[in-house]
Order: sequence, then C-alpha cells, then structure tokens
Amino acid sequence: MLVIKNLHARVEEKPILRGIDLTVNAGEVHAIMGPNGSGKSTLASIIAGKDEYEVTEGSVTLDGEDILELDPEERAFAGIFLAFQYPVEIPGVTNTYFLRAALNNIRKHRNLPELSMTEFMRHIKSKVEMMELDNSLLSRAVNEGFSGGEKKRNEIFQMAVLEPKLAVLDETDSGLDIDALKIVANGVNALRGPERGIVVVTHYQRLLNYIVPDFVHVLMDGRIVKSGGRELALELEEKGYGFIEGEVAAKA
Amino acid sequence: MTKLFERPHSLIENFELLRPILAAHGPEILQTVREKAFQDFERVGIPTIRDEEFKYVSLRLLQDGKFAPAYGATVDRRQLETAVLGNLDAITVVFVNGEFAPELSSAHALPKGVFVGTLENGFLAHEATILEHLGKHANLTGKLGTTNDERFVSLNTAFLGEGAFVYVPKGVVLEKPVQVIFLSRADHGPFVAYPRVLIVLEQAAQAKVIETYVGLDGVYFTNAVTEAVLGKDANLEHTKVQVETDDSVHIANLSTTQEGGSVYTSNNVSFGSRIARNDVNVSLIGEFTETWLNGVTVGKGDQVVDNHTRIDHAKPNCNSFEVYKSILADRATGVFNGKIFVYEDAQKTDAKQTNQGLLLSPNATFNTKPQLEIFADDVKCTHGATVGQLRDDALFYLRARGIPRQQAQAILVYAFAAEVLEKITVKDARTALEAILFSKIGETEDLPEAIEA
Repeated sequence: MLVIKNLHARVEEKPILRGIDLTVNAGEVHAIMGPNGSGKSTLASIIAGKDEYEVTEGSVTLDGEDILELDPEERAFAGIFLAFQYPVEIPGVTNTYFLRAALNNIRKHRNLPELSMTEFMRHIKSKVEMMELDNSLLSRAVNEGFSGGEKKRNEIFQMAVLEPKLAVLDETDSGLDIDALKIVANGVNALRGPERGIVVVTHYQRLLNYIVPDFVHVLMDGRIVKSGGRELALELEEKGYGFIEGEVAAKA
Repeated sequence: MTKLFERPHSLIENFELLRPILAAHGPEILQTVREKAFQDFERVGIPTIRDEEFKYVSLRLLQDGKFAPAYGATVDRRQLETAVLGNLDAITVVFVNGEFAPELSSAHALPKGVFVGTLENGFLAHEATILEHLGKHANLTGKLGTTNDERFVSLNTAFLGEGAFVYVPKGVVLEKPVQVIFLSRADHGPFVAYPRVLIVLEQAAQAKVIETYVGLDGVYFTNAVTEAVLGKDANLEHTKVQVETDDSVHIANLSTTQEGGSVYTSNNVSFGSRIARNDVNVSLIGEFTETWLNGVTVGKGDQVVDNHTRIDHAKPNCNSFEVYKSILADRATGVFNGKIFVYEDAQKTDAKQTNQGLLLSPNATFNTKPQLEIFADDVKCTHGATVGQLRDDALFYLRARGIPRQQAQAILVYAFAAEVLEKITVKDARTALEAILFSKIGETEDLPEAIEA
C-alpha cells in the first residue's frame, strides 16, 4: 500500500531524512519510534504533504501512485490521513461544519453522494460515542479551547469519520492521561482492518500497550536503523535508545 | 482654505438647478438650512488627498465626473426581491435613485405612535421632533479634536429632499425589524443621490433598523447621512449594509447620540462600490451607556474602503466596544481610523477598540490608525491593530482533511468575518450577508471558486 524508497528530505539547508525505506501493507500496523529530533514527525508531515520540507531524493507511493506531487487535499482524497501532533485551532469554524465539508469533498471523490447536515449527524453518531466526545465539542470552533486530550480524541474522531486507507498518527499519545490514552487507543483499534494501514509515530512504548503493532521501526538521525516485531518496543522501553546507538556504532 | 480645484463641478452646478424643487420639500425653515449647508460645502469643496481625513481616498472621480441630479428609474418588485437583502421580513421603506417608491414599500400595522416612512410624511405628524433632531447630531461643533471637516454632511444637507424617518415613542418595543432600502440604478448616465435617514428612539424604546444601499447598475454617487438618537435607556440595533455597484462612490456619515443608560449597536457592512467612505460618529451624552461598533469590509479589484469611527466619551461610566475587520484582495486598499475621545468628565470610561486587516494578496494594502485621546485619569482604554494573512497552519490543516485550497481559504476568511456578522441578530439579514460574503470572496482574482454556504 504505502511504499517509501530511499527518502531524503531537508528543511531549509538542514538534512532531516537520509534514506528511509518502509513498506506498509493493508491490514498492518507499524510503529515508528525514535528519540527527539530523529525525523519521525518530518516523515509524518511529508506523507501528509506539508510544504516546509523539501524532498531531495527517493519516492513515496500509495497503491503505486506517486503522492509527492499531490496537494494535501489530493492526498486526503487518495485516502491519507494525518492525526496531527498539534491539532490546529480554527476560531470561527465549527467542528461539524469543518468535518462535513471535509467528508463531502472526500465522498465526492469516491463518487458517493454528499451528506446533508441531518444525514451527517446520523453518520457520525456512533463515532462520537466511541470517542466519548461531549456533544458540545461538535458545535464549538475547531479545537478552540479544547483540552489536550479533547484535541487528540477529536483527531481520532475525524479519522473514524473520514475512514482513510492509510492513517498516520503523529505522537497522538503525547500529553494524554491514561483514560484519554485508552479512549484514543480504542478508537484506533476499532479502525484496524484488512483494508487499512496504520502508522503510529511515537516516542514512548506506552501507547503500544494499547495499540499493539505488527512491526516496530527505530528511526535515528534520519534513517531506520532497526526493525522488528512488537518485542523491539519492549526492549527499547527497558534499555532506552542508547542500546541501539551502541549496536549501530558497533556495526559501523 | 486654498482650493486645489477652482473650476466648478457638477455637484455645485446641480444646486442652482434643484433649488426650487428642494424648496418644496418640508417646512420653509429647511430651505435656510439648505442654503447655509450649501455655502459650507462650496467653501471647502471636494477634499483631496492632502486633506488629512481623506489621505488615502482620491476623490478625483467626483471632481471630474458629470453627476446629474438623481432621476427616476423603474424597479419592479421581483427585482427588489432578488436584490441584496431585498426580501427580508421587515417593515420596509424603499427609495429608488433617491426617490421614495411606495409601490415597493410594505405597509404594516405598527404599534401605537410608531412612525416608519418618509421624512416628508413625518413632518405632517412629527414636525417638532424632526426639527429638534435633523442636522443636530451629524455635527462635530464644539467637540474635542475636531477638524470640523463635515463637508459631505453639508453637501447632503444642501440637497436634503426625500428621506426616511423612524420614530419609536417612549417605552415602545418594536419587535419587527425596520428596513430602509436605497436602490440605485444608473441606466441613463451618472447621477448623485443624497439619502437621509433620521431615527429617533424615545426613552426606553427599542428597535432594530437595517439600512441597505444596493446598486443595480451603473456609475453614481451616493452621499448619505443618517442620524440616530437614543433617549434614556433606549436600545437600537442599527445595521448598515452597502453593496453598491463596482463603479459607484459611496460616502456615508452615521452620527448617533446616546442618552444615559442607552445601548447602541452599529453593524457596518461594506461590501461594494469603487470608493467607499464611512464615518461613524457616536456621542455619549449620558452616563452608563453601552456602545458596540462592529464593522466588516471586503475590498477586491481596485476598491478603496475607508472607515473612520469616532466615539465621544463625554460622560462618566460609559462602555464602548469596537471591532472592525477588513478583508482585502487583489489591489484593494483599506483604511481604518478609530478615534476615541475621553473627556475630562468621563471617569470610569471603559473603551476597547480592535482593528484587524486580512490581506489576501501581496498587492492589497491596509492603513490603520487608532487615535485615542484621553483627558480623564481613571479610565480603561485599550486598542489593538493587526494586519496579517491567512494562517498557513490552519490552511494546511483544512487541506489535509480534504478541503481544497480555495474552499479552505474561503472558510478561513468567513471565520475571520464571522465575529462581526454574528452581532447581527436579524437572522435572515445575517444569513443573506454570509452568502454575499462567500460569493464575494469567491469572485476575487485570488480565490476564483465560490463555496456553497
């Protein structure tokens, strides 16, 4: 589904990614872990189409289609979803207005009829309940004045409504207390399925207790230096990132 | 005062022509008022950009253009109803090219003592009231820091003919909104019209008045003056909308006087015309008043939109809140000048002024000048002015969710303006204005696609 080959990217003159290779198949959950500054969030942003990064080499394809040339909205139409590390507050635009506009644009591209406000409200009802979102959050401005946990729940709620093919979660666990973490994890788990690929970007292994990944990759200094199964995350938890640095140094 | 332009222009020439016709309108004493106003205008003439108060607005168009006195035009009910805000559920008084159009106006059963109609008919029943207020509020004489530059008020007064009068007697709450519509259709060459509105709310009266200027066709000049007076504890929501044609000049003065305990809300919506200039002056002459000045303008193409506001805090314990927002696309120019005078007497004044410009194009410009002059020592006065562009992070967030760039921009522009439009409590008016805003943003050269409301 998602195939990243030898991806290099920089911001201004500073190289951030130095040759990433990653394949995510439908039905798989991949965790990308790494210390601060390793390039995790850059990778997530490049997949979603943020233009502050310059790709200097390599390719990213979704189902064989080169996505690097697509606008962010076209990537959303293609089925890519990024759960933001820092969801943006948009005063003056209500959550429901925003999400219905997003969904109707995506539905248009899937040749599905647009939903009226009533149909939309019916469509999202079970998802609102799943994410334990207070109904008042729906009529409030997007993320404005939301708590950290509410913002992250709102991201996963949007993901549930938009039903992407590939979801990238950028540090969705940061700033969450244990209850909010469980709600978020439940939401993500409910969306796991044979049709969907999920990439979980995280610093800590804590989230992976609840969203159990099929694969774990360690990103350091712009490269994936080690890949493995779930046990790799547990090993990192126990030994810290230092032990991988040692391994990488020993190989060199 | 030196005159830059010595040769006479059409606005002056028209007066000789119209003098006998004008004299037939209203009581005799009005003609004296007109003559004096005409002399006041003739003395100073059309301002140039060397006049501080008109620094950013070139009015060469007025100097050079041949503006004939307004002439009649035919507008049928269907055209009215499809015009901007032409189909509100309101007590409606309609003028076409400055002339009262009874066939387009709606008759409603009004509460006892309420008057909504033309000034001319108003004189029959309320002559004393009208003469007490007409021309008395659009007047800065004796006020702090005034340049006495009221030439467009003088010009309007010189040509004072048909106008609208709204009167709500003591204690009466007028539930249904009043709408005064000035339609312009210049299908036989450029003209000039001088709309005049007087709104009088007696003690504890309440009303909502919508004043709408709509251009259907052509080149013309609207020189409007509105005076509103709020008696003790009265409450007026006053929405002024101008959606004139792209070739018109719209210069309007709105002057309001508030007595003690009154609440005044002015919503000033400026979407149209080639050159728009609004002066909004509010004078607080009693204690414990509340004033809300909300403004939103959209300029595109080569439009110039200039808003000057002035609040005279002459008495203690009054609050004023002002929010003006300008959205500027293409090569449009926006101007905001916000004066607040706090008189020596006016202790415990609380005045808050906010002004924001949103530039959608690198060629749009915005000039903002807050001007607070405070002569009392125990007051709370704040002001803030910002000029910016749409936020990239917000734009990316919307696009990453599948909302195309143009629609995302329109949504964000709308959100910027919403804070002001939300203040309009007449729901069908607000909805109609939101739709115009969307289509107007959609039509700019920067944002070629409209979004469905």
